[in-house]
Amino acid sequence: MTITINGKSCECEKGEFLLRIAERNGIEIPTLCHHDAVEGQGCCRLCIVETVTRGRSQIVVSCVYPVEKECEVFTDSEKVRRERGIILRLLEKRAPDSPEIRALCEKYDAPRIDRFVKADSGKCVMCGLCVKACAELSVGAISTVNRGVAKEIATPYHEPSSVCVGCGSCASICPTHAIEVKETKDTRIIWGKSFRLVRCRRCGAVIGTEQEIAMAAERAGQEADGLCSNCRQMRIADVFAGTYGN
Amino acid sequence: MQLSMEGINSILRQYPSEQRYCLAIMQDMQRQYNYIPREGMEALSEYLDCPLSSLYSMATFYKALSLKPKGKHIIKLCDGTACHIRGASPLKDGIRRILGINEDETTEDGLFSLELVNCLGSCALAPVLVVDETYYGKMTLEKLPGILSQYREEQS
Repeated sequence: MTITINGKSCECEKGEFLLRIAERNGIEIPTLCHHDAVEGQGCCRLCIVETVTRGRSQIVVSCVYPVEKECEVFTDSEKVRRERGIILRLLEKRAPDSPEIRALCEKYDAPRIDRFVKADSGKCVMCGLCVKACAELSVGAISTVNRGVAKEIATPYHEPSSVCVGCGSCASICPTHAIEVKETKDTRIIWGKSFRLVRCRRCGAVIGTEQEIAMAAERAGQEADGLCSNCRQMRIADVFAGTYGN
Repeated sequence: MQLSMEGINSILRQYPSEQRYCLAIMQDMQRQYNYIPREGMEALSEYLDCPLSSLYSMATFYKALSLKPKGKHIIKLCDGTACHIRGASPLKDGIRRILGINEDETTEDGLFSLELVNCLGSCALAPVLVVDETYYGKMTLEKLPGILSQYREEQS
């Protein structure tokens, strides 16, 4: 089927998410909590767009909105700009220390709103991407703790986690870089736990923490080769060259 | 109820090892011990093969679950609209004077915990105080010491 986004006609499958269709067609929609590796968050609400189906207009959250009927989509209509502006300002009050959100406010010209109370500090917007990334890609060491205004992301009992492997997936997926990672030459400290870093035996680049590599090796069912991805590619290329000659 | 691994395990064994039972098991622990001990959380995580973090998330989300030990007797003071207007706040101050605890706190002897609740549906009796399962309606500051000492005497 075909839908039009900002006047451009776009081919799509029935049930496909609107954000994905827009991305494929090079139409920009701002997002924070969306990541291809962990889909279906739908909580930052930044990716709202306006759809018009048979003359009926509505605001939908594009990252979790499956397209069922032919419709017209507007990603930057008056209505979208107004509502997105409010969402951005609310996010800014929640995470006043985040340069990413401040930049988005400027980029999308969010209106000044004084009636919202600003949080004292923080960069986290509580989207929960880190929690999902940890649960799905790693070990499930962190979660949301408490509720309402006291809600936060933390390890159980706020202690260094016994299961965390220090892979840093939580920090690298965070849209506002709210998770602190301290890295020196051979240690990484995250969530209050210190990990020893392992370097590539050929080029010396950091591959990961000892625990992370051990976990990956166990899951793959083979021994770790101690190489970074570049050097591994080079070694495989060497094998090919040796096999097939020049 | 004295905390023991056998006690915790016997709660766990009443349920199949499936994640959907985790809330029911935590409620049972809460009922048994008046809180969910850390040993219980860790045993549950192992029993269900479920990350401790997601159990901790649930335990801190629900108000009915507590991770800190609660007193032997739970005092629920209603602060719903009717009770509030009829003087729940002075009662709260009265309890603080007598027992030295604020809401969500437990006395040092472990005998009483105070919870503030939003409405018990007994507005005709406002202000209402509930100790364990017993309702005390039309509460006054004067009645307070008598009721509390009753529970204290029962102890000794």
